[in-house]
Amino acid sequence: MSVSIPHEAGAHQHPQLSFLRKYIFSEDHKVIGIQFMFSGVIFLMLGGALALLVRLQLGWPHAQVPILDKIMGDGSAGGRMGYDTYNMLFTMHASVMIFFVIIPLLTGAFGNFLIPLQIGAPDMAFPKLNMMSYWFMWPAFTIILISFFAHGGAASSGWTSYPTIASISMPAGQGFESPAQAGSGWGQILWLMSLIFVGISSMMGSVNYITTIINMRCSGMTLFRMPMSVWSLFITAILQAFALPVLTVALFLQLMDKTLNTSFFLPPGTLNFGNWQTGPGGGQTLLWQHLFWFYSHPAVYIMILPAMGMVSDVISTFSRKPLFGYKPMVYSITGIAGLGFIVWGHHMFQSGMDPRLGTGFMLATIMIALPSAVKTFNWLGTIWQGNLTLNTPMLNALAFVSMFVIGGLSGIFMAATPVDVYIHDSYFIVAHLHYVLFMSTVFGIFAGIYFWFPKMFGRMMNERWGKVHFAITFIASNGVFYPMHILGIAGHMRRIADPEQYQFLKPLMPINEFMSISAFVLGFGQFIFLANLFYSVFWGPKSGRNPWHSNSLEWTAPSPPPHGNFESPPVVYRGPYEYSSPEGEEDYLPQTTPPGETKPAGEAVPQHA
Amino acid sequence: MQKYWSVLFGAVITAAVGLFVVAPFMGWWLPRNVSSFGGDVDLLFYLILGITGFFFVLTEAILVYGIWKFSSDPTRKATYTHGNHKLEVLWTIVPAGILVMIGIVQVRTWENIKYQSRMPRPGANTQQIEVVARQWEWRIRYPSPKRMASWRSDPRLAQDFGAVPHQDDVHVPNELHVWRHQKGEEPQKVLVHLKTRDVLHSMKLVNLRLMQDAVPGKTIPVWFMVEEYNTSLHPETGRWVDGFDPKTGHWNQKDYVWELACAEFCGTRHTAMKGKLFVHKNRDDFLEWLKWAEAEDHRRTPAVPSTEP
Ligand code: HEM
Ligand SMILES: [Cu+2]
Ligand SMILES: [Cu+2]
Repeated sequence: MSVSIPHEAGAHQHPQLSFLRKYIFSEDHKVIGIQFMFSGVIFLMLGGALALLVRLQLGWPHAQVPILDKIMGDGSAGGRMGYDTYNMLFTMHASVMIFFVIIPLLTGAFGNFLIPLQIGAPDMAFPKLNMMSYWFMWPAFTIILISFFAHGGAASSGWTSYPTIASISMPAGQGFESPAQAGSGWGQILWLMSLIFVGISSMMGSVNYITTIINMRCSGMTLFRMPMSVWSLFITAILQAFALPVLTVALFLQLMDKTLNTSFFLPPGTLNFGNWQTGPGGGQTLLWQHLFWFYSHPAVYIMILPAMGMVSDVISTFSRKPLFGYKPMVYSITGIAGLGFIVWGHHMFQSGMDPRLGTGFMLATIMIALPSAVKTFNWLGTIWQGNLTLNTPMLNALAFVSMFVIGGLSGIFMAATPVDVYIHDSYFIVAHLHYVLFMSTVFGIFAGIYFWFPKMFGRMMNERWGKVHFAITFIASNGVFYPMHILGIAGHMRRIADPEQYQFLKPLMPINEFMSISAFVLGFGQFIFLANLFYSVFWGPKSGRNPWHSNSLEWTAPSPPPHGNFESPPVVYRGPYEYSSPEGEEDYLPQTTPPGETKPAGEAVPQHA
Repeated sequence: MQKYWSVLFGAVITAAVGLFVVAPFMGWWLPRNVSSFGGDVDLLFYLILGITGFFFVLTEAILVYGIWKFSSDPTRKATYTHGNHKLEVLWTIVPAGILVMIGIVQVRTWENIKYQSRMPRPGANTQQIEVVARQWEWRIRYPSPKRMASWRSDPRLAQDFGAVPHQDDVHVPNELHVWRHQKGEEPQKVLVHLKTRDVLHSMKLVNLRLMQDAVPGKTIPVWFMVEEYNTSLHPETGRWVDGFDPKTGHWNQKDYVWELACAEFCGTRHTAMKGKLFVHKNRDDFLEWLKWAEAEDHRRTPAVPSTEP
C-alpha cells in the first residue's frame, strides 16, 4: 500500500531561498541529483584521461613521448612511462570510474533525480540526509585528488587492492611508505580513506531511497505500477545497504593494517621484502578477497541495474509499446540481486580457495546468466512490432541491449571454471567488464541523460550532434573493447605495462595499437557530448512538460519541476507503459489519466525526433 | 530514413563476428596446447563458444531486423501487448536447461585440474618441484639427482620434499624443467609446490592452460603433465635449449617456446616477472640437465640461502 504524505507540495509555498541554499547546499533532490551528475561527468573526464594514458603505454610500450616526463615526473624520465606510473594509472582509472563516476551517476544522479518524481513524491523522505550524502562525497573527491601528489604516487595495487601488495606496511615508527612498491604507501592509505567516505555517502543515499520508495508513493502508485527505473533503483539500494557495510569493514581493516600495524591480512609466518622481514601475522591474505568480492560482486549489479531500469523506460517510450513482460522483468532483477550475493567466489576460482567451493560458486554463477537472458529477450519483445523512434536516447538504449548481450555471454566463459583457469586475469576479463560497465552502463547513462535532460533543465539537447556523438562512441568503443576478447583468448595478461616482454604476446601488438587508436577517437569524441550538454543547459530549445509523450509521472510536472515537484499531489490510475492502447486516441496514456478518459491531459508539444 | 541505423548496428556486429573468424588465421588465438588436460579445457571453450555464438547471432539478428522493420512510421500504430506468458516460460526454460548443462559438463575437468584428491602423490614416479615466487622472479628448487635416485629405492623419502628444503637441492631461477609424458606409457606427472615469499603472484602457463595464484602463508599443490617436449642439447653451445621442434630438429621455433608468466599483479616489475618451461624428452635427458644445473648452482652460489618462506 502506498502512503501519501499529507504535505501540500507546491512551489509557491517554499520561501525564496538564497543562492547558496538553492544551488549549493540544497535539500532539493533534483538539485542534488544534478550536482551528482556534474561531479560524475567531471570525474569521467579524469578517468578517461587516465585511460588514454594507459592505452598510450599499451599501444606503444617503448615510445618516448616528450611531454610524459613533464606530467609524470621522475618516474617517466626521458618520456618513457615508468612501470610504477603505469600501475598507478590503471589502478586510478578503475577506481575513479567505478567509485567516482558510475556509482555516483547511477544512484546519486539518477536515483536522486528520478525516484521522487517517478513515484509522485514532493522530495526524498530525508532531504537533509540527502544533502549530506552529496557533501560526504567531497572529502572523498578531495582525498583522492590529493593522493595523486602523495609521496610515492597514488594507489597502484589495482582497484581490487589485494593484500599483501596493498596492505603491507613498514614496522611501527618507520613511516608509511610501503616495502612492496612505491604506490602502496601514502597513496594506498588515502585511497582507503577516500573510499570510506564514498561508502558513507552511498549508505546515506540507499537508506533514503528505500524509505522514500516504501513510504512516499503518491495515491494509486502501487508497487507494480512503478516504472522500471524506480524498481531497479529500489533493488539497487537494498543491495547497497546490505553489501556496503562489508566493504566498509574491509577498508577499515586494511587501513589499520597500514597505519596501526595490525595484521588482519598478514599470514602467520614471515614475509620477505628486500632485506627485512615482516613479523609473523595472525591473519589471512584471502580474507580480503572474500570481503571485497562479497561487496564488489553485488556492486557490479549496483553498477548496471539502474541502467537496465532506465533503458527499459526509454525503450518502451520510443517503441510506443508497453514494456514486454513487466513482471518477469521485475522478478529478473530481484533474482539477479538475490543470486548476486552467493556468487562472489567466481572472482576467486584461481585464488587458492578450496576448489570444491569453486564448484559451488560456479553453479550459482552460471545460473545468474538466466535472469540476464530473460531481460534481454523482453527488451527484444518490446521492440518487436513497435513503432520505433530512433532518436538519441533510443539509439543509446538499443546500444545498451546489443552490447549487454556480449557482456553477458562472455560471463559464461569465465563462469566455467576450467575455462577460467586459462582466461582468469587476462584481457578476456577486461573485455567482459568493459562490455558490461562501459558498453552497457555508460550507454545506459547516455540514454538517461539525453532522455531526462529536458526534465532536468527544461531544454532539449541537440539531436543532430547527439547522433553524431552516438555513432562515434558506438563504433570507437567497440574498436577499443571488442579485440580485448581476442587478446584474452591468446593469453594476454591484464595489468602488465609491457606486453612485448613476452614472445607469445608480440604478434598481438598490432591489435593493441589498433585499440589504442580507437581509444583516442573515443576519448575525443566525448567532447561533442560535453559541448552539447553545456550548450543545451543554457541555449537549448525549450522543451515543455512532456516532449517524448511519455507516461510516467515526472512528465506531468513542469520542466524543470519546482522545489516540491508537482503543482498538486498526483493520483495514479494505471501502469507506466500504456502506449498505443486501443483505449486512447493518442498513442500514450499518462499514469494520471483517469479510467474512461482517452486523451492525455496537459499541453501538447510536438514530438522531437 | 531512420531505419538505416540498423545498418550501423548490423555492421558492428558483423565486424565482431568477422574478427573471431579471421583471428585464428592471423595467429591471434589459443596458443598451442601441450598439457594432458588442456584439450578438455579447449573443448569446453569451443562448446561455450558455439553455444554463445549461436545466441549472440540470434539475438543481434533479431535486434537489427527489429530496428529495420519497426522503425517509425506515422501510418502505423504499435501492437498493444504486455507480454506473452508462453514465450516467457519458453525463454526461461530453454536457457536454463542449456546453462545447467554447461554447468554439469565442466565439473569433471575442473576436478581433474584442481582438486586436492587429483594431485599426484609424492613418490618414485612423481616429478616434484618447488616454485617460490618473489618480487620479481621465480625461484625454482629441484631435488638433486642423488635424492631422486633415493626416491626410486624408497618412495617414502619423497614425502618431505615440498615441506623441507635440503642442503643438496638444486636452485635455478626462472626455468621450470620437467620431462615429457609419452602417451600410452606410465604417467609422468609433475607436482609443483607453489609458494610466495612476499605478495600474491600467479603462475600462468598458457601452453598448459594452467594458472594458480601463489598465496602468502600457503603452499598450494599444482599438477600437470606435458605431452610434448621442446628442449634438446644444442650441439654448438653444449647447453640444453628450448624452442626445439622434435619433428624438424630445429631450434628457435616460436611454437616451442613455452613461457611462464606472472598473472597476478605483484608490484613494479610485475610485467617482467617471466620464466620459461623446458620440457625434456625423457627422464634421462632431464637428469643429464639436472647434473649440469647442479654443477652450475654450486659454482655460482656455494652456500645456497634457504628459500623456505
Ligand atoms: C551474465 C552474467 C554474468 C556472469 C556469468 C559473470 C561472470 C563473471 C566471472 C566468472 C568473473 C570473474 C572472472 C575472473 O576474474 O576470472 C567476472 C568478472 C567481472 N564481472 Fe561479470 N558476470 C556476469 C555479468 C556481469 C555484469 C552484469 C557486470 C557489471 C555490470 C559484471 C562485472 C564484472 C566485473 C567488473 C568483473 C571483473 C572484476 C575484476 O576482476 O576486476 N559482470 N564476471
Ligand atoms: Cu562477479
Ligand atoms: Cu606478478
